[in-house]
Amino acid sequence: MSEERVGFFTDTSVCIGCKACEVACKEWNAIPEDGLSLTAMSYDNTQALGASTWRHVAFIEQPRPEGRTELPLAQGESTAQETPVGGDGELRWLMSSDVCKHCTHAACLDVCPTGSLFRTEFGTVVVQEDICNGCGYCVPACPYGVIEQRPHDGRAFKCTMCYDRLGAGREPACAKACPTESIQFGPLDELRERAALRVDQLHEAGVTDARLYGHDPDDGVGGDGAFFLLLDRPEVYGLPPDPVVTTRDLPAMWQHAGTAALSLLGGLAACFALTGRGRR
Amino acid sequence: MAQLDGDCKGYFLMGENPAVGSANTRLQRLGMANLDWLVVRDFSLIESATWWKDGPEIETGELRTEDIGTEVFFFPAAAHTEKSGSFTNTNRWVQWHHQAVEPEGDARSDLWFMYHLGRRIKEELAGSTDPMDRPVLDLVWDYPVDGELDEPAADAVLAEISGHGPGGDPLSAYTELKDDGSTRCGCWIYCGVYADGVNQAARKKPEWEQDWVAAEWAWAWPANRRILYNRASAAPDGTPWSERKKYVWWDPGQGRWTGRDVPDFVPDRAPDFEPDEDATGPDALRGDDPFIMQADGKGWLYTPAGLEDGPLPTHYEPQDSPFPNALHPSTPRNPVRHLMPREGNRYHPSGDEKGAEVFPYVVTTHRLTEHFTAGGMSRWSEYLSELQPEFFCEVSPALARERGLENGGWATIVTARNAVEARVLVTDRIRPLRVEGRAVHQIGLPFHWGPNGVARGDAANELMAIALDPNAHIQEDKALTADIRAGRRPRGPDLPKLVAEYRSRAGITPDTGTEVRK
Repeated sequence: MSEERVGFFTDTSVCIGCKACEVACKEWNAIPEDGLSLTAMSYDNTQALGASTWRHVAFIEQPRPEGRTELPLAQGESTAQETPVGGDGELRWLMSSDVCKHCTHAACLDVCPTGSLFRTEFGTVVVQEDICNGCGYCVPACPYGVIEQRPHDGRAFKCTMCYDRLGAGREPACAKACPTESIQFGPLDELRERAALRVDQLHEAGVTDARLYGHDPDDGVGGDGAFFLLLDRPEVYGLPPDPVVTTRDLPAMWQHAGTAALSLLGGLAACFALTGRGRR
Repeated sequence: MAQLDGDCKGYFLMGENPAVGSANTRLQRLGMANLDWLVVRDFSLIESATWWKDGPEIETGELRTEDIGTEVFFFPAAAHTEKSGSFTNTNRWVQWHHQAVEPEGDARSDLWFMYHLGRRIKEELAGSTDPMDRPVLDLVWDYPVDGELDEPAADAVLAEISGHGPGGDPLSAYTELKDDGSTRCGCWIYCGVYADGVNQAARKKPEWEQDWVAAEWAWAWPANRRILYNRASAAPDGTPWSERKKYVWWDPGQGRWTGRDVPDFVPDRAPDFEPDEDATGPDALRGDDPFIMQADGKGWLYTPAGLEDGPLPTHYEPQDSPFPNALHPSTPRNPVRHLMPREGNRYHPSGDEKGAEVFPYVVTTHRLTEHFTAGGMSRWSEYLSELQPEFFCEVSPALARERGLENGGWATIVTARNAVEARVLVTDRIRPLRVEGRAVHQIGLPFHWGPNGVARGDAANELMAIALDPNAHIQEDKALTADIRAGRRPRGPDLPKLVAEYRSRAGITPDTGTEVRK
């Protein structure tokens, strides 16, 4: 890595769900439109990250942990409150812009046979569309379900953290477009410090559920290059709670395979040796 | 209405889509079908440009293309990146933008269109002796043009609006305007936007090179004043109310108002000034009368003049409402509201009136981040359309149960004007209103869609009645009543039949909802 490792810190506590990141990403990277169907899942018509969706803003509607006081509007309110007509209690809308995590230990990169996926000088993980041969090994390798093959094309695509923009000294398009600085881009060490301060600040303000996700270099993927501040458990946002690099066990597996192969060879040799001796 | 009555013969639509964005879109289209000519300038073939061949009334059989006499012209419009010009925001800042690229194909700026149209009309009328043509022939229409497309210089138009003195020098403030014909100005509030012969609106000094008021970022009308009535930021004696928030104050040493902003007051009128008994107009304002545009210089809650209603703020129910007015039982709605009762624009029975139960729910319309107003700029963009691809209605789980609506399924919403179909979004975000001990369900409708473009759907404004507020004539499309039922709406002639059936069930007559008092 010739440059400082950079990354994203996505602070979902200030995300307003405008989806400017999704549009800016598609505009800059010339990604095709990939579906004009209403999902009827809140305002999320994007659904998931994929070959043609490199930023995805999730909308989660859930009961608010501590309800706000409802002011009585008119007489008879008390009886109306006892038999509520619709949803009980207050509601909150969790919004979060998901993206490729640019893992420290990236399984997609480990399994790529062509070298299409590579670690850049910025510490990010990039797939090169002119080298990818469409084998698809990276797809099941990703513990987050980020990378995907484009139908009718076969090649794999995902967020490049705007590798071309980084090379020109610019921040990625999504971070540039984010109007609330929910998506922050910068040197990863700096972002981790800033994120820790932000969590403390939220805890002090009484938002006790605020937590970081993917910030820990000791987690199953060695820490994410793109990490998050969440307001609920990762599962609520559709994120795996304890991701593990899928190639973690490969060395052990090779070791076992090697031991097995050696035993087999040894056994065969013994067989030959024995039979040979018998023939004499 | 003048179109329907045949009084209005022609219509220019520039960046406007009334077939989607205006109340009672069906009547809007029928009005356009009664014109001699219609000019639409937009980026795409919006609904207001194609209603004559594929609009909803063609489908229902109410209109036949071959019967429509309107001659429709469509001109592709240049986008803001393809022309120079200004944006004025609600903070009154006039912000200039420069052309980045030439418009593609036949697209031209609105300025290009208006200038060359005027030039051609003058050429057409040249030599005419008809006195009616005199004003057009005498009109000075000599803007410089530039480039291959002969684009008029937007800068020159701004300079003309800003105004010139007797010697042709640019004016720097509206206070320099004279009523003796020696000065020229397009509009007094913009006077000075071209002060010193410089486009003040094009100033882009960064925030770190000036104070927080940012007086050198663009230009604010009038007089580059960023906050109106800013004399009120100082106490009656002219000292700031708060040292931390001080903004405009009296400088006794200089004998003038000064501060961070351009003071909105007579510059040298001292805080303790008292006018003569016989003074009139602005001269009669005291030194502690900050609201200088009011006759008495005071802020008004009681408004004895200038409004059609008033003099005090009060509460009226919307035109179509499920409730009587608890505050004014005898006068549920604004007695001076502007109604246009006619065929196709019938109002609902409200409150405890007979037939109100036919439209038992409250409809409110709203916007989404992903689309812009009537959709002309967003429904043709694939990247925005895929984020909000279809017209939908938002209902609470309780209303969904009551009417058998399924999340993701279809629903039909009906008023006395029209019926639309929408996909259903069941959400706890939409909560029933509890008024006077009674719960009434709400239906939320984003209004951006129409039948053209990448993301298509019915227009929520099909449901609206035209009912206007008496002062600013704003259409009332944020609160009305309706019915909702599961499934898609009828097609063809069955659609108006369904709406007529609803009208008859509710006992709606031409007089329904038009009363001044109960």
